[in-house]
Amino acid sequence: MTHFQRWALALTLPAAVLAIALYVFPIVQVLALSFLEPKPGFGNYVSLLGNAAIGRVVRTTIVVSALTTAITLVLSYIVAFAIVHMPRERRRVALFLVMVPFWISVLVRAFSWITILRRNGVLNSALVEAGAIQEPLDLVYNQLGVVIGMVHYMMPFAILLLVANLDDIDRRIIQAARSLGAQPATVFWRVWLPLSLPGLSIATLFTFIFSLGFLVTPALLGAGRVLMIAEYISVQISSTLRWGVATALSTLMLLAVGLLVAIAMRHPAFRAAFGGGHR
Amino acid sequence: MTPVRRRIQVGLPRMLAWLLLAFLFAPMLVVIPVSLTDRDYLSLPQHGLSLAHYLPLLDWSAGWLPSILTSFTTALAASFAATTVAAAYAIGAWVYVGRWPSFLRVVLLSPLIVPPIIYAVGIVRLWSRLGLLDSWIGVVIVHVMLAIPLAVLAIGASLSNLDPRIVQAARSLGARPPTIFARVILPNLASGIGAGAVLAFITSWDEITVTLFITSRRLVTLPRRIWTSIADSVDPTLAAIASVMLLATLLGLLVRVLFFERGRPARSTRKSLL
Repeated sequence: MTHFQRWALALTLPAAVLAIALYVFPIVQVLALSFLEPKPGFGNYVSLLGNAAIGRVVRTTIVVSALTTAITLVLSYIVAFAIVHMPRERRRVALFLVMVPFWISVLVRAFSWITILRRNGVLNSALVEAGAIQEPLDLVYNQLGVVIGMVHYMMPFAILLLVANLDDIDRRIIQAARSLGAQPATVFWRVWLPLSLPGLSIATLFTFIFSLGFLVTPALLGAGRVLMIAEYISVQISSTLRWGVATALSTLMLLAVGLLVAIAMRHPAFRAAFGGGHR
Repeated sequence: MTPVRRRIQVGLPRMLAWLLLAFLFAPMLVVIPVSLTDRDYLSLPQHGLSLAHYLPLLDWSAGWLPSILTSFTTALAASFAATTVAAAYAIGAWVYVGRWPSFLRVVLLSPLIVPPIIYAVGIVRLWSRLGLLDSWIGVVIVHVMLAIPLAVLAIGASLSNLDPRIVQAARSLGARPPTIFARVILPNLASGIGAGAVLAFITSWDEITVTLFITSRRLVTLPRRIWTSIADSVDPTLAAIASVMLLATLLGLLVRVLFFERGRPARSTRKSLL
């Protein structure tokens, strides 16, 4: 190693020390506590398995995350597909409309949805006044409200990932298919869709993982009635102080996320984003 | 295929896409009329517009102003520290390509993937042992860790455009390592470092999940105050602060789109949006 490289290595040290002491260590501690608190052993995991309430929370989390992911991906694909076909100026407008929610605080977005979807909110008042409905509809503080809020939160991520992917598809392949006489529907189903599978799988993975661990939107739009794992963990550490349960659930969530990422890492595009350094 | 059928096949999805774009954008605008309501509760204005709900934002004792200040100083400190550490790492990893910097990169980027709630559980435990719960420095450190990934990505992107021969030239002219890092590499990264600092600032300014667990009474950041007031009671002052944040974001993005992206090739614009 040259003198110059030793200098370079020294520059990476502050980041290494910080990351290990203040990020990795606290998380490893979570894993350790799940086996140590309140007493050593697998007690926490055994009690997780037999607990009906936790079973319900896990089920809710998986159902809401899967619904969110499916709806987000379908809607985002439609938008991304349209964006890559737009002329330059219109495309800038469309991307601007995607970027605004992307950068707006998640709290402002949750609050906007509450304002719109409440029983005496903007949407219900409008519908009642228009005579479309007699009684206000229950649109929020239930699973419907949570899914609406989560889809709205996840869509910009998914759209941006998909636009990047669809833009990389070689248009000459599409032209070739057309010139060989393929109908538009055939071109879409047999050419566009298979070529966008890498982008779709990365977007699916990100959306699903974010949904699994999401606290803010489900907590505000579910108001305790749609309890997902993150909110359940937060109740355990801030009010009931059951550290064993909280850390065991956190460990399981980390394992699930790790497993999903490990599967994704077999994908070259994902490796390129995360591996780095290989020029 | 008939022209009509073709128009439907192309036009319908396009219209659907614009409807979906409206679904993304329009709902957030609702906070603006609501903030101007003449009522004491969350509603659309009924008999006229009123700016009354903006007054508490300027009143120190109402709590919003101190929170804005807290969030601002926290974000400034976190952004400065995160950008410094991330720039040092990114430059080091650019010069020394090997297993260790690659492994470290995975660790540094992991907050983008690991659910923040898990980090919250761990850091509450550590901070309570170190007496850093509900302290400014405790929040800043956490925000630094959460902002580093974005700063690393931004600075890394700008480094990948840098020609390594610049360094070779400097070395062959006899420059010593500190001189090369500080006077050759660093000045070429100004745009990446600026982007990293802005991303880090926004990360800290918006962070709520972990902050929620490590603060309670003494230190109330703006997101934390918004969170509590959404959970407690929804009053129009909240709509006022939401409108201010919305307009600030819109303005920031418009300035960026109008002034910084003109003339850049479409491709790099797209990449920088991500």
